Amino acid sequence: MKNQNKFEIKHQANRGIQCLNLEGYLDAHTAPKLESAIEELMKSGFNKILVNFQDLDYISSAGLGVFMAFIEEIRESGGDIKLTSMKSKIFSVFDLLGFPILFDIETNDESAIAKFLKNDLRKNEE
Amino acid sequence: MKNSTSKYGNKICTCCDFSELQRIREFVMTKAETLGFSSEEAQSIALAVDEACSNLIKHTFNFDTLKEICVQVNFDKNQFIVNILDEGTPFNPLDVTPQDMNEYFKNYKRGGLGIPIIRKIMDEISYLPSNNSNRKNVLTLKKFLH
Repeated sequence: MKNQNKFEIKHQANRGIQCLNLEGYLDAHTAPKLESAIEELMKSGFNKILVNFQDLDYISSAGLGVFMAFIEEIRESGGDIKLTSMKSKIFSVFDLLGFPILFDIETNDESAIAKFLKNDLRKNEE
Repeated sequence: MKNSTSKYGNKICTCCDFSELQRIREFVMTKAETLGFSSEEAQSIALAVDEACSNLIKHTFNFDTLKEICVQVNFDKNQFIVNILDEGTPFNPLDVTPQDMNEYFKNYKRGGLGIPIIRKIMDEISYLPSNNSNRKNVLTLKKFLH
C-alpha cells in the first residue's frame, strides 16, 4: 500500500462549478484538510461544489462526516455538493449506511455538471 | 510504532495520534489479505479497526500521544480475529444504541458513525473491560472467511 498517508485536493472551476478532485486516503487524520477546502469555498460564496473521487483509495467515517457537516447549509442556500466517479470500494462505504439516500452520487463529472446547469436553468425560468 | 509477536499472534502498538491510523490499517490489511480475504474485504476490516482506533484516540485518550493502543490479529479456523487493546476508561461500544439512519439523515447529524460501520462490517463484536487481573480493555472484532 504505497502512499497510504497521502491525501491531496486539486481545485478547479468548470462552468461556475467548483470541482475538488480528491486523491489518496481520507481518514480522521486527513479529513480536516477537506473540511477547510469546502469551508473556504462556501465562505467565498460558492454553493455548487463537485467532489470527484476517481483517485481516492480510502474513506472512513471522518470523511463521510465532512459532507454531512455542509450539506444542509449548502442546500438551504440553493446549492449542492455532488459526488462523482467513485471506485466501488469507496461507494460501498457510502452505501454501507445509506448515504446515497441523502447525497447525489453521479458516475462522472459531466452528469453532475449537467444537473447543476439544469437546476440553474430551472431557477432562471421561475 | 512497535511491531511484535506475542503469544496472541502478531501485534502492533501505536501512540494515540490520528497519523498512526494508516499504519494500523496497513498492518490489518496485509494480515487479512495473507489469510485469504480479497483486497476489498481486507480494506473493509481495516476500516472497522480504523473506526475503533479513531474512537479510542479521540474519545478515550483525547489525543494524548503518551498513551498507547495495540492491535493484535489472530486466525482461528475460518475466523480472522482482531483484538484492540487499551488501558483507558472502559467504554463498551456495544452499549451504544444503534443509530437510526433515517433520523440521522433527516436531522443532518454528524459524527457517531464509527460504531455503526463496525457493526455493519464485522461478523462478531465483543468487549472485555479491564479488571484486577487484566489492566487492558479488549475489543474483539471477528470476520469469517467464506
